[in-house]
Amino acid sequence: MASVTLPHEARQAAEVIRRADIVIGIPSYNNGRTIGRVVQAAYAGLAKYFPQFSSVVINSDGGSTDNTREAVLSARLEDQHLLLLNTPLFAAHRLSFPYHGVPGKGSAFRLIFQLAARLEAKAVAVVDSDLRSITPEWFDLLLRPVLFAGYDFVAPYYHRHKYDGTITNSIVYPLTRALYGYRVRQPIGGEFGLSTRLINRYLQRDDWETDVARFGIDIWMTTIALAEGFRVCQSFLGAKLHDAKDPSSDLTAMLEQVVGSVFMLMQEYEDVWWDREGSRPVELFGFRYDVGLDPIEVNVDRMLAAFVRGCRDLGEIWAAALEPETHAGIQALGRQAAAGVRDFHLDDELWARVVLDFACAFKKHRVAGGHLIKSLTPLYLARVASFVGETRTLVPDQVEEKIERLCLTFEQLKPYLRAHWDGPDARNKASRKSERAGPPRQDREVSRND
Amino acid sequence: MINTLREILEAAVDRLHHQVTTYLPSTLAAVILLLVSYVLAAAARWFLYRVFKGMTIDKFLRQSGVAFLLDRSGRLRATRLVAETVYWAILIGGFLIAVSAFDTDLTNQMVQGFVFLLPKLFVAGLILLGGAWLSQYLGRSLLVWAVNENLPSPRRLAAGLRIIIMFVAVVVAADQLSFARNVFLAAFIILVGGAVLAISLAVGIAGSQSLRRLIEEKREQRESEGERSLWTHL
Repeated sequence: MASVTLPHEARQAAEVIRRADIVIGIPSYNNGRTIGRVVQAAYAGLAKYFPQFSSVVINSDGGSTDNTREAVLSARLEDQHLLLLNTPLFAAHRLSFPYHGVPGKGSAFRLIFQLAARLEAKAVAVVDSDLRSITPEWFDLLLRPVLFAGYDFVAPYYHRHKYDGTITNSIVYPLTRALYGYRVRQPIGGEFGLSTRLINRYLQRDDWETDVARFGIDIWMTTIALAEGFRVCQSFLGAKLHDAKDPSSDLTAMLEQVVGSVFMLMQEYEDVWWDREGSRPVELFGFRYDVGLDPIEVNVDRMLAAFVRGCRDLGEIWAAALEPETHAGIQALGRQAAAGVRDFHLDDELWARVVLDFACAFKKHRVAGGHLIKSLTPLYLARVASFVGETRTLVPDQVEEKIERLCLTFEQLKPYLRAHWDGPDARNKASRKSERAGPPRQDREVSRND
Repeated sequence: MINTLREILEAAVDRLHHQVTTYLPSTLAAVILLLVSYVLAAAARWFLYRVFKGMTIDKFLRQSGVAFLLDRSGRLRATRLVAETVYWAILIGGFLIAVSAFDTDLTNQMVQGFVFLLPKLFVAGLILLGGAWLSQYLGRSLLVWAVNENLPSPRRLAAGLRIIIMFVAVVVAADQLSFARNVFLAAFIILVGGAVLAISLAVGIAGSQSLRRLIEEKREQRESEGERSLWTHL
């Protein structure tokens, strides 16, 4: 385990509390406006659904300069005027600490997990602190599968606006699904339920100081759960609405951290994904219902301008990263975009090849990792612009069908990935691997979900 | 007259005889040494290509980006690097031994000078390689950043940075070799000073408006992003 000790005050608090069955973790940075409501929802969820369990709500803060920590410590459930039929046997504790180390969500989670392990928690739920649509039911849906059904990892499943979560829809979901063979729809959703077994596994790892410390944490947690054979399910949480304040302003850094983590884990779990074909559904808990969503404005022209700039100036990096055919396809699209073509379209196969080529280039160190993934930003924006244009008139179900088609394209291109992963030796390697590899570890468990 | 002519011819023949008897064995020895060194070099290269794997060096070359720096296809492997280095080292060593076979002041000075220069050449080569790597790395960093930040002329900015870094590397390498030290230093100072002055004048006189507009645009862009920030990529 990488050696980062708990802050003194956190250790003291753990010694006082001694044990807690449930830990709810809320990472934060300047979320004073919304975090109070999230804490109230957590308290209400614990009181309503888990009155027989001892519990702690932990806020792990990144040095907020607004009143975030005060909002956590002063949030009162009584303000909500709830009628609870059960009286909780234990009062839920609440703690708020600043975390140490690399600033980011991952470091915040690390403190929460360390405390949870020390308190010997049976189940842990983590939720973002900028949520506006969170309800007490979310905690039931995230914790119950762990506490009562033996699951190790509960991923969220939400209704989101068709333009929301574009890194998820265009890269992370299709790629994770094609690699590991499981349809976890929101692999970087931000809200998760976790078992002690999985928490301990996370804490054993020594890559907490990488991009995992920042936005890479969500896909890191999901991938480890999928690749190492932990029991995984999803819970339907309704709609996901955030606070207007969004940390996504630096898209390039976020893309680098998320995609960098995906590519890094691809190398580590090469033996796991190499032989997996197709994908299987993952069990989904919760009653599904339709919800209204906030409208979202996107500026397609600005995205296409970024793509044209990329084509003009990043050719040197793209030529090193992409296979010649893929590069030629992108350059042709760049010319179209520069000429102001009305119906700009980056098709599924070309996009999937771009992502897979970048993964292979990352593995082969064709271009320094940071430069490589940062140079993906204009291509990603081109894909988003294309997606927005194609889905402008579509209803959510049709959009979901479109995302499904993209996922299938990624799955169909798995042989392409294998062929380019190691260069010319890949074919020999493929045969060697299939000789020595047994069936995927999760296959038996997952087949129950089919 | 005939006697004089005969004396001259005899003297010429004597000199030729003397030079042939003096230098022919050395020349033959040098040719043999060159051939032997070539055969040895070729044999060593052949052997290393078959035996040496050097996977750790391969990994270093790939991860540091040196493989793609030296060979655009990135196919440079440690085996090739080591085999070719050994080949040329043996060949150059053989050449020096062959030259020293003449055992004259001139050849001894040549060999001595080369041997003394060799460590400096090696260090200068490393400096140039390091400079090339750094210029490529920082040039790309600037290029990608400038493109993503929508700055004007990203390629020119990156090329400028690369030229400056490579120029510094050349100046340091020339200094290491004691080669035209003052010329390079003066050129460097003139170039950097001139570039700074030119940029200052350009920004001060003509570019201030553009710069203000650029900053203004960036600010507006950030503000509009704030307004539409319900859109999250994750």
